[in-house]
Amino acid sequence: MTSRAPITWRVATVREVVVETPTARSLVLDVPGWPGHRAGQHVDVRLTAEDGYQAQRSYSIASAPETPGLAITVQVVPDGEVSPYLVEEVRPGDQLELRGPIGGFFTWRVEDGGPLLLVAGGSGLAPLMAMLRHRAAQGSTVDTRLLASARTARDALYRDELERLGPRDGLRVAWTFTRETPPGWDGFTGRVDAEKLAAVAPPPDAGPRCFVCGPTPFVETVADLLVHAGHDPRAIHAERFGPTGS
Amino acid sequence: MSDDQPLDGNGVAGLLREVLAGDPTTTRRRCPDCGDEQPLGAHRAYRGAGIVLRCPSCEAVAAVIAEQASELVVHLRGALLVARA
Amino acid sequence: MPPISRGFRGRRHADVDPSRIPPGQYLTPDFPVLSAGPTPRTPLDRWTFSIDGEIDEVRRWTWDELLALPQETVTVDIHCVTKWSKLDTEWTGVSLDTLLDGVETEAEHVVAWCDGGYTTNLPLEDVMGGRAWIAHTYGGEPLEPAHGGPARLLVPHLYFWKSAKWVRGITLTVEDRPGFWEGYGYHNYGDPWREQRYWSD
Repeated sequence: MTSRAPITWRVATVREVVVETPTARSLVLDVPGWPGHRAGQHVDVRLTAEDGYQAQRSYSIASAPETPGLAITVQVVPDGEVSPYLVEEVRPGDQLELRGPIGGFFTWRVEDGGPLLLVAGGSGLAPLMAMLRHRAAQGSTVDTRLLASARTARDALYRDELERLGPRDGLRVAWTFTRETPPGWDGFTGRVDAEKLAAVAPPPDAGPRCFVCGPTPFVETVADLLVHAGHDPRAIHAERFGPTGS
Repeated sequence: MSDDQPLDGNGVAGLLREVLAGDPTTTRRRCPDCGDEQPLGAHRAYRGAGIVLRCPSCEAVAAVIAEQASELVVHLRGALLVARA
Repeated sequence: MPPISRGFRGRRHADVDPSRIPPGQYLTPDFPVLSAGPTPRTPLDRWTFSIDGEIDEVRRWTWDELLALPQETVTVDIHCVTKWSKLDTEWTGVSLDTLLDGVETEAEHVVAWCDGGYTTNLPLEDVMGGRAWIAHTYGGEPLEPAHGGPARLLVPHLYFWKSAKWVRGITLTVEDRPGFWEGYGYHNYGDPWREQRYWSD
């Protein structure tokens, strides 16, 4: 029998609100009957107002499949309709509707192997974090490199956790800050470019799987750079974040 | 199945379910315009009155989805290659 | 009944005359960008607007010629089939009445055609009588490409998919020829006040 899991709406209750940055929260959700997910997948979230008005958005699952409690990370979009509500208003006990998990194209499991190159623009780090958390939960030491771009260190998601996860067990993490760097910073600055990718990525002939996530212009630029650098286009998985409201 | 007594859609429902229940993001599509095969997850999605999916290689329309109140109306062009479970 | 998300209101404003909002619509202060495909970029020195089809002689204007015609600035409400409405939007452009002035034709319909291949169909009378413009300026600024610049058709009395972005011409037709969205199940006419969103409406 075909599972209807991905297309039916389920009620999710907020169990915990985690402050990630001044403008981002992770919502940890209890979802009875949740069928499980793969790292990289996302969910559709639907909110209903008292008069019946509904709004819907998509968010990547940031938690590992091994962790009980589904987590999504929401970054406030200026003048957004849904994100300010999810970041500034939502409290434990609140309810929303969830549909998913969605997406097989942008997923990674430990058994898929590596090496892995993960490139994140802003909140595009969320699904890649699910992959890294899954990797850690499985005790994998597959060669993995993360290049994450953020405007400032204050906006950098999961920074403390990433500092605990690497560099060790085959994981290397590199940040680049595009607007403002922390005092004493000697790492990358400015946008992701060919030079930064060459410094971080495994060589093309190592056949890495590349996962790129972030705003559409970021993803398209990085994907082009990777192809230009000789990476197999079929090994580049891209997820473009953009307005998903309907 | 013999030709003079064809089955109907109900008779091949199991097969139709397999077609429709494929993971949409990994299902590949062969574009009739440019011949390229790309996963639906890699197709560009544009939101207008409805959703338009376009071939990432040649921009030709691959699918149009109208989200009506009580049903989705889905138009597909090209061949879908649905991986069997 | 789905669970209510406590405290969620969406971005709607209660302080507006409800008779300005067609049924099923919500007010928005933004200007969402919607499209059926990528944004085309035609340089102005190659841009022309044409009226062709059931007409004795094709009419064509270059960008400069269009701007030399009498211009109108109008303030109108616009309504998108995806349920948002935006009030008091200001546009400057050339009225279709100006462009069609003196045209003799048996045609009762038009098809607007655009860079990128988009089309939409309308009754000829719906683009006349002060109800349609080729608009190049929005809110006092040149119309951005994402919103249809350099110029789009503006027909505010119908759902906004009829206000074709990146318009390059209208073809006068004797028969009604459904355009892009109309061919995919959207209503052939599209009156927001009668909520004509889909074929079945």
